[in-house]
Amino acid sequence: MSPNGASGEAEVGSDGPRQKGKATPDTLKVGCIAQVIKDGQPRRAEILSIKETKSGRQFYCNFDNFNKRLDEWVPVSRIDFDLDVEWPNPEKDKQKDAKSKKTTTVAKKSQPSKKTQKKVGKREQSVASEGQTPHPWSEFVESQNKDGDDKANASLEVGATPGVGPDEMELDEDETPASAAKKEHAQSFSREQEIEKLRTSGSMTQNPAEISRIRNISQVEFGRYVLFPWYFSPYPEVFSQEDCIYICEFCLSYYGDLRSFTRHRMKCTLQHPPGNEIYRDDFVSFYEIDGRRQRTWCRNLCLLSKMFLDHKTLYYDVDPFLFYVMTTRDDKGSHLIGYFSKEKESADGYNVACILTLPQYQRKGYGRLLIQFSYELSKIEGKLGSPEKPLSDLGLLSYRQYWSENILDLLLGYSEGQDKCTIETIATRLAMTTQDVEHTLQALKMQVYHKGEHKIVIPEKLVQQREKSRAKQKRVIDPERIQWKPPVFTAASRTWGW
Amino acid sequence: MATRKVRYKKLSVKTLLSVLREEQIDPAEYESLTNEAQIATGVEQAEENEYHLQAVLQNAGVAADKEIPVPPPQESTLNYDELHTRPFSKTATYIRFSQTVEESIGCMYDMTEDDDVFLKSYNQKRAASAQLSEDDFERIMDVFEDTSHVKAPFASIDQTIVPYDEMLQDLQELDRALDGAKVMSHAKELYEYWKSRRQALNNQPLHPTLKFEKHQESDEADPYVCFRRREVRQTRKTRARDVQSVEKIKRLRKELEDGRQLVLAAHNRELLKAEMLKADRAIFEVRAQLKEHKIRLGIKTDDEDLINQKPQKRKAPDVPAMQRPPPPTQLRIAVRPDGRPAEADLSILADRLAEKENELRADIEKKVQSHNEWNRNHLDLTRGPLSPVHGPRRVPSFRPAKTQYPMTPPASEPSEPMEEEPMPMDLDKPDSLPTVFKFRGVARDEESRANPPAYRRRIGRGGRLWIDRRGMASPPRHITFEVLDRWKYDESSDDEDYPVTYEVDPSDTHALKFRASIPLPLWMTNRAAVPSTRVPLPPPQQPQPPQQLVQPTPAAQPPQPPQPPQAPNAT
Repeated sequence: MSPNGASGEAEVGSDGPRQKGKATPDTLKVGCIAQVIKDGQPRRAEILSIKETKSGRQFYCNFDNFNKRLDEWVPVSRIDFDLDVEWPNPEKDKQKDAKSKKTTTVAKKSQPSKKTQKKVGKREQSVASEGQTPHPWSEFVESQNKDGDDKANASLEVGATPGVGPDEMELDEDETPASAAKKEHAQSFSREQEIEKLRTSGSMTQNPAEISRIRNISQVEFGRYVLFPWYFSPYPEVFSQEDCIYICEFCLSYYGDLRSFTRHRMKCTLQHPPGNEIYRDDFVSFYEIDGRRQRTWCRNLCLLSKMFLDHKTLYYDVDPFLFYVMTTRDDKGSHLIGYFSKEKESADGYNVACILTLPQYQRKGYGRLLIQFSYELSKIEGKLGSPEKPLSDLGLLSYRQYWSENILDLLLGYSEGQDKCTIETIATRLAMTTQDVEHTLQALKMQVYHKGEHKIVIPEKLVQQREKSRAKQKRVIDPERIQWKPPVFTAASRTWGW
Repeated sequence: MATRKVRYKKLSVKTLLSVLREEQIDPAEYESLTNEAQIATGVEQAEENEYHLQAVLQNAGVAADKEIPVPPPQESTLNYDELHTRPFSKTATYIRFSQTVEESIGCMYDMTEDDDVFLKSYNQKRAASAQLSEDDFERIMDVFEDTSHVKAPFASIDQTIVPYDEMLQDLQELDRALDGAKVMSHAKELYEYWKSRRQALNNQPLHPTLKFEKHQESDEADPYVCFRRREVRQTRKTRARDVQSVEKIKRLRKELEDGRQLVLAAHNRELLKAEMLKADRAIFEVRAQLKEHKIRLGIKTDDEDLINQKPQKRKAPDVPAMQRPPPPTQLRIAVRPDGRPAEADLSILADRLAEKENELRADIEKKVQSHNEWNRNHLDLTRGPLSPVHGPRRVPSFRPAKTQYPMTPPASEPSEPMEEEPMPMDLDKPDSLPTVFKFRGVARDEESRANPPAYRRRIGRGGRLWIDRRGMASPPRHITFEVLDRWKYDESSDDEDYPVTYEVDPSDTHALKFRASIPLPLWMTNRAAVPSTRVPLPPPQQPQPPQQLVQPTPAAQPPQPPQPPQAPNAT
């Protein structure tokens, strides 16, 4: 792969254009990349913001190859000033902008070149090897960075001219106040496309620069729990100055003032999501809520979930969505566990737009219930469904698990009966798209080519694992208990509400 | 693997795949397809390589203990039960709910700590009775915020502060609704406080609000601006679309109006209900008084006069049945001894039923008659044999003698009403005629139709042919004793035991012919002739001499067709 090479070393080397040098806490500025201690180890981190606190200056760091939810404010003491700091190159932006204008967002996302793929593959391998010895993170700087793919595409764009210098590969500065103004006109192009895409469908943004990168809420009182948000959410701007905000568990209204929240709690009569219950078993209930009819509640829900969903966008209003909310009952009310939203009419055949289990209920099997419920609804509709992309890391894992378990259960039945099956039958039985079925089979290495024929092989490991997980799995959705008919919306009702 | 490139057959989703367990196949013989292509994960490409995700994905299907670290939630230190006091009980059925958040909360303004400070100092200056409660404080502030939001939606941009005068209307409404909270006495002072708070916040709403689009340049890039309205694609303007829109708006208007009316009606109903309840209460109170009086006067009665007041309807009949004499209109009850109200009731009911049934029957008969009449008119005009209800058919043996128009019985002769069956002529009184459409194509007066002449043929003993006629006035005749006596011995006494049955064939052509040949009496031919379709036929061919039975009575109606011989005998 051309001069810059595919290996991590080569890419790090390609960082040449960045000026390196020693820095002090005072000279360190937004956009710099420094070595910051995380979990006892130094990691490459980009400084996204700087603030002064009583205890001294703090830096908001985004760590290489770590999800944004692990971004944090660090004190000066955690930054290693003995090592060189990489300075941002403002003058390079223009070149980069020119390039990004040529490549459209859509092309970037949907058609990764073979080159890119290979590169990714290699990276994966190296990541795997790092799994055991997680030290040289610096190798993956470029690949993980927000603009890693920008760069990859940049090289794709000019693939014919191998002379693409390493100078094209600089890191992209983000929407930090300092650089935002300069970049605004450059971003507008892909931004327009992004917004156009949002306007016509869906609720997911695929443009990482789209969202503000700095978490604005530090702590949330919600029901019996204190939650620590993962991502930015467009709550009222003044809330970013509050140490803690208060969210009513039932109506999801938000308060920056404990006194207001207490007063509110005395008046709020809501004890369950404001919609119709469409499922109930001994353990959970599901409510269906129309974004148009319960605008306030659904907006509040979106604001809440945005704190835990990176790619969710609140750019447009909630009208075109239905919200399916899972709750658990006790003597105080029906408590929100999680939810998924669904477009009233999805042009791309998505059966889920956003899906979230609140952090206090995560890792308890609720995500699987949510996913199962979404597919049960698709079965009732008689449609094949798939979640809207991009998935988050946690979303991917949950879906992979649900898909593989269900496909495995289905295939075990086939292998006993010596029947043949097609991908299509699997898809229809599970209301999954054939694409998802294929990808799952491949990911589980079940799809093989044997003596001139395609076959499916069930690895023993998976069978044993499934038996174990089935023993653990306590709860499933009982389709018999769903009282639901697919809601019908005429064009007029979608447009005008009648 | 890439070196030993095997060309795979294309795998379609419809390809039949055999499903095998791992032990059923030799691992050396196959290769997994996954090595070739990168599996699409659906994760944002920039994030696909994140360390924690890759660590889990690498172990996919091997060990599930690897997890992606997230900031862990904590238990809250707030007192949950204090903040959540309402108990929640499980409903039997699935919940259906459409109230919005705003409706569930009520007053949207919540006091802040600053408000707390203000209210405390505010109340300190006042007497206990004139103090302002927290709830009322919030309500008044809510009015200010609300009115300001409605009247100056862009207050934060153009810096208008809604003057106190414009708040007055809503405040007065609140004053009325709260009924005695003395809103107005606090309002002015609170307004000044509200105004100062607003100004301190750059005329933003006192509660932190979301940033919505304001159609300013800065909207686009501001990550805090959210929930924009989705622009609807502009549809082409056509006349048809305009009409459609007009229709829709009209419909909406109408539906809203309907809704308004419904609410008004419901409001009225509830007012009436309230009145009724008041009345009920008054009644009860009076009764209670009565009861007291009774107790004081030592009158012993059941407690029922207090208790049974809920089923008001039952009470009404109970009281008269127990104490008062039955109403005089009901004769039977008067005879009966008191204390058997149930039976009295029964007999009344039976009477009522009978009465009603009679009425019904009369009504039905009347309808039958008028129906017959209606039909008969048609029959007369069409002479159709298929007419369903045909007056003369009810005495099937008689057939109208159509050939003899006009045959009007003398007006002086009243037709005798028949007792058994209501014959059409009975009904034909012009005054009883229903006002139905009548075709009066033929110029005949009512009476001629009322009693149409009819004949019947009978064959008597020894093949004698009898022609009975009806509806025709016999010419006055001098009846001598001999004549009367003529048939005295005509019948044997057995006839009484074995009544003779006569075979009657009304459509026998011989009879028809013969009938037609009967010469009209003179008095009839003198009348104006109506042209008849059935002209007299050629002379009779029958050898038998017809015998005419002439009824001696002027009524000329044989009461019972099957016993014609007896009739003359009886008279």
